[in-house]
Amino acid sequence: MRSKFVAAAAMCVSLAACNGWKSGQANSAQGNISKDNRPPATAKASVVTNNGMTNSMVMLAVPLPRDRALQVMKVRHDGMEAIGDANKALHRALGSSDIPTIRANAAKIAQLSQQASTWFPAGTGPDVAKTRAKADIWQSADDFASKLRAFQTAARALQLAAAGNNVAAMNARFAALGGACKACHDKYRAEESH
Amino acid sequence: MQGVPRQISRGGKSLRQVVWDLPVRLFHWLLAALIAFSWWTVHRHHTDWHIWSGCAILTLLIFRILWGFVGSSTARFSSFVRGPRAIADYWRGKWVGIGHSPLGALSVLALLFAVAVQVGLGLVSEDEDGIYMGPLAGLVSSETSDKARHIHELWFYVILGLVVVHVLAIFYYQLRGRELTVPMITGRAEVEPGTEPMRRGKWWAALICLAIGIGITRWIIAGAPPFGS
Repeated sequence: MRSKFVAAAAMCVSLAACNGWKSGQANSAQGNISKDNRPPATAKASVVTNNGMTNSMVMLAVPLPRDRALQVMKVRHDGMEAIGDANKALHRALGSSDIPTIRANAAKIAQLSQQASTWFPAGTGPDVAKTRAKADIWQSADDFASKLRAFQTAARALQLAAAGNNVAAMNARFAALGGACKACHDKYRAEESH
Repeated sequence: MQGVPRQISRGGKSLRQVVWDLPVRLFHWLLAALIAFSWWTVHRHHTDWHIWSGCAILTLLIFRILWGFVGSSTARFSSFVRGPRAIADYWRGKWVGIGHSPLGALSVLALLFAVAVQVGLGLVSEDEDGIYMGPLAGLVSSETSDKARHIHELWFYVILGLVVVHVLAIFYYQLRGRELTVPMITGRAEVEPGTEPMRRGKWWAALICLAIGIGITRWIIAGAPPFGS
């Protein structure tokens, strides 16, 4: 019961975070996400997402108890699968310039990207259960957090572009988003096992 | 020494003759290199290079199939694709000739087929994150693309198995005193006197085959039928 409450609370926090995407960062659409060269000196305590939410769960020093960890890992897995599915649908929709489908999936990815802030608390690594999340995530927490932020920024930029009607701009944002996904996956995700 | 016929000076045993034309040799080594490159790029997450490598292999395959009909005699399927009787004769040591042996021909066909299947699967695949799509992936559903990628990943082991058999066979022949690697580089091999020499294909026919290979590949890169879905 307690663990369910915690999971529900985590979802509330992450959903609350989603409401803020429009309020800030209109300029993020102009930035080149893949060249996000902010120094890694960002202090651990002040890792903040673009809408002001403290990325505390990434940095949580005390590992989660196992049952809670497994719940978070399940939410993370399903969330990543959902992002992947939305990205695939979006990619195909870009090929046929199907703007409503592009918009729906860009919104879905932007929303899930905000929830992702809660998906990587300490104690949800490969030592706990089967996961492709590498232990390096928690060893290079600053770098990981900055890559997660880059992903959130790129997802919002695509959502903003999708609000218009310029498919070329959407394609550019889609490519930048792919670059942000890839930057993190190449480094922090283990190979798929058959 | 002077005036002694070359054949006699070599003890009358054999002659070095051209057995593989340049297109066949280039095809062979480029294919080997691109298969290795495809494997390496996908493992280093250079998926875009991996897709380009696959497109290059597609061009090579189209070229080789066409050259198998209009190329030099040893390049033609009609010269080396034989029935089970020829294979049995070869097994008993009753085969003379240049080019692919009746048994080696099976290996050639299996490799060409396996690589063609792999390229076909890659064309309709998408990566697990939906960041990359093969040039023809838009013609099928996302579910089909994902299935194709899974088979594409497993099919690699079919190709790997055939390559291992191919390389082991070359070692086996080497131990029995038959050098196969050098002829595939230089084009020349020791040939029994009296063997019918290779008839060379026309250089312009090779260029036409290559042009068709590039043309079809470009059409596929554009997304096929009316250029995309």
